[in-house]
Order: sequence, then structure tokens, then C-alpha cells
Amino acid sequence: MLQPKRTKYRKAHKGRIHGKAKGGFTLAFGAYGLKATSPGRLSARQIEAARRTITRHMKRLGKLWIRVFPDVPVSQKPAEVRQGKGKGTPEWWAARVKPGRIMFELDGVSKQTAVEAFTLAAAKLPVGTKVVVRLGEEG
Amino acid sequence: MSTIITIPAQPRTGTGKGPARATRRSGRVPAVVYGAKKDPSLISLDPRDLMRALRAGSFMATVFDVDIAGKAERVLPRDVQFDPLSDAPMHVDFLRVSAATTVTVSIPVTFLNEEAAPGLKRGGLLNVVRHDIEANCRADAIPHHIEVDLTGLDIGDSVHISMVPLPDGVVPTITDRDFTVATIAAPTVVQEEATEVAEGEAAEGAEGETPEGEATEEAKGEDKAGEKSAKD
Repeated sequence: MLQPKRTKYRKAHKGRIHGKAKGGFTLAFGAYGLKATSPGRLSARQIEAARRTITRHMKRLGKLWIRVFPDVPVSQKPAEVRQGKGKGTPEWWAARVKPGRIMFELDGVSKQTAVEAFTLAAAKLPVGTKVVVRLGEEG
Repeated sequence: MSTIITIPAQPRTGTGKGPARATRRSGRVPAVVYGAKKDPSLISLDPRDLMRALRAGSFMATVFDVDIAGKAERVLPRDVQFDPLSDAPMHVDFLRVSAATTVTVSIPVTFLNEEAAPGLKRGGLLNVVRHDIEANCRADAIPHHIEVDLTGLDIGDSVHISMVPLPDGVVPTITDRDFTVATIAAPTVVQEEATEVAEGEAAEGAEGETPEGEATEEAKGEDKAGEKSAKD
């Protein structure tokens, strides 16, 4: 699963996700993309689950790009522990996603295969999504 | 140059985001026409006309006639801003051009004879490194697309710009190297399976571990603290 090799600080603030994506909202590599339509935090497990779903559906024939990286450590307190006594331990990694962000891109497959693969992958993600197609390749 | 498409436009007044937003609220797309040492003209377009031109492909490498209240101007699109979420066009920049103008444009690449490439027949993947090529050319001689012939290419082969026949007068902006346009990559079936098996084994071994090694000590400390407070 994706996670940073090293970090400057072990724990991060929870933060809030406001507004639309300011970058990464156009297709950069492939002909098809999966775009977020709502804000959210994608865990490394969710990204990996979506990646596997896409690669398996397209029979590993096309090329896939992952445009998000889980670089935010998310901490949790153990079960049945009282509040206080400091912040919990980092448990998983998340990628903060704003609406409009392209999360995955695909190339080398038909439009139908790409749409099917993205639909299956979208079911693994905690954000609303839509499939986008490079202009001029919609036919 | 083939027949030039005319996009009907209306003049608009007021610069800045306020008037631009008002134009969008009225259901039109704000745009600007500039260049040729004339004052810029503020215009608005019907989104349906604009989307038709965008969907036709090669929008940024196509010369249009913009009909501003009966007066036609020959223009080349230089920038289109899209809404990040809805992908609707929000603003378009047009540059006034004449036949003699030399412009830098991104020309889309199309691939021919995919069935005649043995590499693709054997399951290889056409990896497009550049979907469009930036080139200098005259405004009246911008090619609609650059054609790349894949005949005879096998897995591991690549297409460099020197192998692509360019129309007369079209000069790529990158001249210091013979850059790659596309490659034919090997299918990833075998590699992918191997990595998935390895990852599966690693995940089983690491189950229940925290993301960082140091975190375990702290967790122990917190557990003790939790027990202590429970006793209290």
C-alpha cells in the first residue's frame, strides 16, 4: 500500500476540506479519468482496492496512473480509553481529495472497459465520482 | 487549410470577475479576443457552439472566425478555462491571427496502422508519451493533427519525433533532443501477478502493525495510562 517513506512530523491535524480542486483537475496522462465530485479522505487501503479492481477488470492490458497519494497520517486512540492523555497513534494514511480532483487515469483500453473499470473502482471509494474523457476522444 | 468554422459571438461590456460572472449567470461563456496590435475585444459565446467546437477535437490548433455582431475576426484559441468540477468552459482566450502570423501551437497526435504493428498484435500496449506536440508554424498552415505510423513496430520500440513526417513549415519547439512521442510497452500481466502475490504475503505478515515502528512504544505507554485511569 502507498505511504510516505519518511515524514517531517509524525502526526498531522485533522483539517477540513473546503472548496474545489485548484490543480490536478484535468487529464494529464491518459484518455480516461475518474474525477472526485465530493470532498473526502481516501485511505491507502481504498486507493489500493480501487487500483486492484481497475487492473483486474482491464485484464492488466492498459496503463493506469494514480494521481493521489496518501500523505496525511491519521491517528486513532485505542478502544476504551478515556479522553485526554495526548493525541492517539498514527494508524493509517489518507489522501485529502477536493471535488474536481482526478484520482485515476487510464489509457490503452476501450471507452467501455474504462467506464466499467472506473464504476467498479468508484464503489471502493468514499467520495462521489464521475468518469471524464479527453476532449476529442468522446466518439 | 480546410473550411474555417465561424463561431457567433456577442460583444460584452465590463472587465473583471463581476461582469464575467454576470455573463455566466446569463447562460453565456465570457471570452476575449486580443492581438494584432489592436485593443482587446470582450465577447461572450453560446456554450453550445463552444462545446461543439471543443468536442470536434484539435480545438487549440484550429483557426476560427469569430463573428462579433456582424464583423468577423480570424482567431486562434490560446487558452480555455474549465470548471474543475463540471468541466464546463468558463472563459476562452482568442488571438487575432493573419495568414502571415507564426504561432506556437500544440498539435494533437493520431496513430495509424495499429493493426500493422506486430508489438500491438502480440499484446503490447501503445504508451502515448505525448498526446500533442508543440510546434511553430504559420497560422494558415496549422495541421489538424500529426499522424504517426505504427507499421512494423514491435514491443520495446519507440517512436521519436525524427521518425514522424511533419508537414512543411511545422517545426517542433523542442529542438535540442529527439524526444519520444510513443512507445510500445510489454504487457504487464506477469509482473503484476508477481507483485500482487508478494504484496499479499507482506500484508498477511504485517497485519495488526501500526504504520510506524516508533508508534508501538507510545501505544504501550498509552495502554498503561488507560489501565491506570481505569483503576482510578
